[in-house]
Amino acid sequence: MIARSNGRWSWIAVAVASHALLAGCTSDAEGDAPGGEDGSAGVFTGGNGAGPGGNGQTAGGLPGAVSGRGGATGASGATGQGGPAAFESVARRLSRTELNNVLADVLGDSTNPANQFLLEDEYAPYDNDYTLQSASQALIDGLNAFAEDVARRALADPARRAALVPCSPTGPGDASCFRQVIESVGAKLLRRPLADAEVERYLTLQAFATEDNPHVDNDFYTAVELFFRAVLQDPEFLYRIEVGEPTANPGISVLNSHEVASRLSFLIAGSTPDATLLAEARSNALLDAPSRRAQAERLLGTERARDQLHRYHAMWLGYRAIPHPANLTRDFDTETTHAIDRVVFDESRSYLELFTLPETYLTASLAKHYGLPAPANGSGWVAYPADSGRAGILSHGSVLSAFSKFSDTSPTQRGILVRTRLLCLEVVPPPASVNVDEPPGDVESTCKVERYAAHRELASCASCHAGLDPIGLGLEQYDMAGRFRTHDDGNPECVLDGAGELPGYGAFSGPGELGARLVASGVLDACSVQQYVSFAIGRRPTADEAPHLEAALERFRASDHDFSSLVLDFVSDPAFVLRREPVRP
Amino acid sequence: MTLKLNRRTLLRGLGGAAVGLPLLDCMSSDGGVARAQDAGPPKRYAILFAGQGIGGDGWERDRNMIAGERFQESGHFIVPAETGENYTLTTPLQPLRELRADFSVVSGLNIPFSRTSTEAADVPAGGAFRDFHGGGAGPLLCGTRSQSASFTCRSITSDQVLARMHTGKTAVPSLVLRAQPSWYLSGSSYAGRNYISYGEGGTRIESQPSPQIAYRALFTGFAPDDEAERARFDFNQRARRSVLDLVTGKRQGLLGRVGAADRVRLERHFDEIRELELRLGAVDPMTGSCSLPGDPGADPAVGGDNAGSGSDSIGTNTGYSDEQARGRAMTDLVYMAFVCDLTRVATLQLTTFQSHMNVFQLTSELGTPIRADLHEVGHNGDQNNRGQLPVSLCLQWHIAHYAYLLQRLKSTPEAGATLLDNSVIVFMPEAGHGTQLNDATSRFQTHSVEDMVLLVAGRAGGLRPGRHIAAAGAHPAQCLLTCMQAAGSSATQLGEVSGTLGALLA
Repeated sequence: MIARSNGRWSWIAVAVASHALLAGCTSDAEGDAPGGEDGSAGVFTGGNGAGPGGNGQTAGGLPGAVSGRGGATGASGATGQGGPAAFESVARRLSRTELNNVLADVLGDSTNPANQFLLEDEYAPYDNDYTLQSASQALIDGLNAFAEDVARRALADPARRAALVPCSPTGPGDASCFRQVIESVGAKLLRRPLADAEVERYLTLQAFATEDNPHVDNDFYTAVELFFRAVLQDPEFLYRIEVGEPTANPGISVLNSHEVASRLSFLIAGSTPDATLLAEARSNALLDAPSRRAQAERLLGTERARDQLHRYHAMWLGYRAIPHPANLTRDFDTETTHAIDRVVFDESRSYLELFTLPETYLTASLAKHYGLPAPANGSGWVAYPADSGRAGILSHGSVLSAFSKFSDTSPTQRGILVRTRLLCLEVVPPPASVNVDEPPGDVESTCKVERYAAHRELASCASCHAGLDPIGLGLEQYDMAGRFRTHDDGNPECVLDGAGELPGYGAFSGPGELGARLVASGVLDACSVQQYVSFAIGRRPTADEAPHLEAALERFRASDHDFSSLVLDFVSDPAFVLRREPVRP
Repeated sequence: MTLKLNRRTLLRGLGGAAVGLPLLDCMSSDGGVARAQDAGPPKRYAILFAGQGIGGDGWERDRNMIAGERFQESGHFIVPAETGENYTLTTPLQPLRELRADFSVVSGLNIPFSRTSTEAADVPAGGAFRDFHGGGAGPLLCGTRSQSASFTCRSITSDQVLARMHTGKTAVPSLVLRAQPSWYLSGSSYAGRNYISYGEGGTRIESQPSPQIAYRALFTGFAPDDEAERARFDFNQRARRSVLDLVTGKRQGLLGRVGAADRVRLERHFDEIRELELRLGAVDPMTGSCSLPGDPGADPAVGGDNAGSGSDSIGTNTGYSDEQARGRAMTDLVYMAFVCDLTRVATLQLTTFQSHMNVFQLTSELGTPIRADLHEVGHNGDQNNRGQLPVSLCLQWHIAHYAYLLQRLKSTPEAGATLLDNSVIVFMPEAGHGTQLNDATSRFQTHSVEDMVLLVAGRAGGLRPGRHIAAAGAHPAQCLLTCMQAAGSSATQLGEVSGTLGALLA
């Protein structure tokens, strides 16, 4: 257990029981809304005390009682402790975004076809949580339509077809040319070279190209299209299946080089290994940490890596889909991605500065929206005025929109966001007798703050809401589109004083001071590591895996919170090329 | 797309929906074996689900507020004031005014719960765990008590009992659809709210949210009549099979290499592909007895979906994906699947449990713009529009889809009657309007499993529709069990609930 600044904090998985999310006793039906984070809590180590504010620690936290979701991560305490550090893993199905990226990279398909044909991924909060994935008829039907559509369009476009077929077929039965397509595109989609026997099987599709059928307009490309369809529905394409080789430690395998390439590429770039990475994989270089690190560094320099980290933050902080007009959300997006790029990629600052940046990137219209000084040249960095109360990403309209409703902010939901996502503390579900989205207090109360006061008056609510509402109330002067206000929307008599508290860490007012409090808490960096690792391994870590996280945190701190280093250290770690077979109950 | 019937099937003598000749045994896909056993046309069963309650939170049945104006007026709450045949149609039921004789309102349904304990151990048989949304879902759908607030059924649902009964008789065991394609909230996920069909032991059955894919899945096997088209069709079907053969041919090799956990995951995937293969073979060429419906075309855009790091493609349709068009396309599919006997069982979740679909657009079209999502409407989320009428308007929108399906079924002759006469079609809202489940005290609550309402349409199995039946505390599962039996099931229990509602037949 690493000593925290307050000496009491312990690793705690973000977990919230079922749908309740403590919105109980809350207002205006912001209620039981967020519900993705079902499952039981996992306390990483046998924690040594409650978190700040007397909250956060689940009872027990016994190893072996970690993840109740789907049984896919059932690492037991006993076996989980043995052997080298290795994360448990199973075949992870590509998310819709990953599929879109792969098809753009390999087939030149920029239409995001997975969004059209496949079921929405469950965000909990990351879209790649494999414990929530299961095959179904709805999925298979979608994949079937997806494969047919993608394959047809890939060959209907002459430019794309020329890029995919590296030879000029001499006729419908040109087996040599067909073989070239199978080998080149097949290796890209399956992320490994194809065995001869596999190629032979795909070659049988050429019968559909050569069939003499007066009613069918078939040619060489008919077989290519069918080949694409077969690969696009292949579980080896749809899932990242890791087999590797057994090690001396039971249950632990070492991945092969191609499997490592996929792990690396899907983590950093959100897509399939590129040609360089596949070449590295063929030479078996990726099992060596320095080669892996070098490749990771290269990938971090790509646009894909930026997109991936932008998406990661949007899922983490809950602003991936926010209820505003397109031009405004685009401006928010520009603002927030500039901050991420600057801190992580362009200037390699301490990651914590993401929460304290004294300036922000604005378009002219966004500056007007916020009531902030306009940037010099259309759009650019603008220093926050001293009295603006703003600093860092929590001041952005994107984040301030997250966990709101269509109509207004929700102090409780904002409190939940800060607590679960930034402090990695659990929110204890309300007692069952509490109606989880009954408006608090008298529904006829004019002012929202007064209605929320009911949370503090009722003992059954106060115990939990004391850890939530004060956080949200400290942000109430910033509406759900990030604009400053001094009273309730449309109600000048309902004055908002903006006074808030981060329980256990002191009073604050506004997102700037909240960011500073979070940084000073000494917990934000630990929670950031936990969140990123959850995203990397496709599920919440289990109690047994706490030592990996602690080591990652130590390195993150040693690097002065350089986020690229966090990523590079994670992939350089020996655990990155190992896989632990789940122990099923 | 032009419809061309398979000539071979036409020769067998069935004119299909438009012509309405008597249904012949030789037309059924099982060659008439089953038909000979239970003479008469097959009985169809469908549930249309609305992820909303029936009343405003804390508002009595005659209290309303529209545009900030409070008023007291009866007739908006779904339950009619009178029972029997001559009741006054309420606001949510308006879309059914031409179909009064074809459906019944069943009101006063209660799911039991402990009034003194919130412990899972104290939930009574068939009862609800004392936490509303998740706790109420299980007993409503499958009659088995819930033990937690998670959205789950602990036993098989009514529709799947019937699907099992029809196993092997139709191309598709059951059609499981959902019109609301997205959870819409950015910080969270469905976490089970998108399921209303569960298999044996409570296995979740994923619903298909794409009208386009549902259409393709149902009708790809339809054989055209024209010789050239037929040849292309055969070619495509052979190609499709060859492609799937290449995929499934990897099964043994792959499963033999992977670890135990992956074997389970991938086996499931391969099993589902096999279902698809079976379906490809099953439809052609026996089912040509019905008209191929028009392709619904590309799905309406998903509102609130976005491609980038943030919400860069959000438009004014935030939180709404044209569920109106999607719901319509899906009811069309249910209808045609029934006509063609592609399946005899369907569920359609118009909106998910605790739906956060933005109702602004659809309520604007109804003349009363409400600025809230569906879940908030029940909890008085729009400051200016509260009470019964806003809730009833949203309910009316759902019921319009139900009415549309009934109308289509009714206008389709079958075996000397109509398709609706050979069906049982249930409309199911998520919540009632009674004592709050969580605190077991507050009244007129949206979070209630008391005073629940189901609508039951059709005349299969001797159902006698056309009335408002006050069920006086019967369990919703008893109503469903009655419907299941009317649809041909010999089940005497649904989950932990037994007993039927004789009034539906009397």
